Amino acid sequence: MSTPAKRRLMRDFKRMQQDAPSGVSASPLPDNVMSWNAVIIGPADTPFEDGTFRLILQFDEQYPNKPPTVKFISEMFHPNVYASGELCLDILQNRWSPTYDVSSILTSIQSLLNDPNILSPANVEAANLYKDHRSQYVKRVRETVENSWNEDDLDDDLDDDDIDED
Amino acid sequence: MKVEIVEWHAFSTWHWDIPGTGYEDELCGICRVSFDGTCPNCKYPGDGCPIVLGLGCSHNFHLHCIMKWLEQDTSKGLCPMCRQIFLFKEGTFGAEDGKKLQRLVDGHKATRERGPNESDQEFEAFDGQQVE
Repeated sequence: MSTPAKRRLMRDFKRMQQDAPSGVSASPLPDNVMSWNAVIIGPADTPFEDGTFRLILQFDEQYPNKPPTVKFISEMFHPNVYASGELCLDILQNRWSPTYDVSSILTSIQSLLNDPNILSPANVEAANLYKDHRSQYVKRVRETVENSWNEDDLDDDLDDDDIDED
Repeated sequence: MKVEIVEWHAFSTWHWDIPGTGYEDELCGICRVSFDGTCPNCKYPGDGCPIVLGLGCSHNFHLHCIMKWLEQDTSKGLCPMCRQIFLFKEGTFGAEDGKKLQRLVDGHKATRERGPNESDQEFEAFDGQQVE
């Protein structure tokens, strides 16, 4: 059944198809427009370069007046990403605006990768390494980048994960 | 029932006269449907789904879209585009809708005047629950 949230999500999808920002892609699940799979490619000239990081976005009927729940399913080592994959990002919480869409959410997360907010760490170890031992931080991030490629070979496993999420 | 249109003559077209914008491509920033179309809750464009013009900021929205946003506590009464306190120009919609919108704007004003600390804490707690 069509609802305002679903209609808006279909517009978001159209925008992603016609005018996707570089380095991000996203599409709703074939049978549920309220759940999306997304990939963010790590930006060039950053430790995250060329990583293929997967995320799940879960919307509810209050969208776009409420933000979606966004979660990395790829392993991440980042000061603002919890071990669960959930993010600490102001625009997904108290600075949400209904003018944001899938495209702008993913662009914000992409720029968060190389521009972490150290004041509100979700991963204290990552935050400390970022501040005091940058080379070790970069090494740990590069490991997650390599792991993100290995995941791509395991598409069957990922499909299973998606079913579990439902 | 199937209807076959044999012939039609277009004799007029209309659009919202929104000052300072090239109206044709203007979309409501909230629902992303053009102002001349309807918000996602309406069937018919035009007077039934009017536009609200921002006062102070120059951001415009479908009346129903901005009302839904201002009904959220988390909106804090701010314009979704520029985060200034949202105020509106009268005259593009009926008196009844105007009163409803004014009530929402006033509600947020009262919350702000009660003190920023108290309401901020509420938002933080609420956000915390959402993340869980």
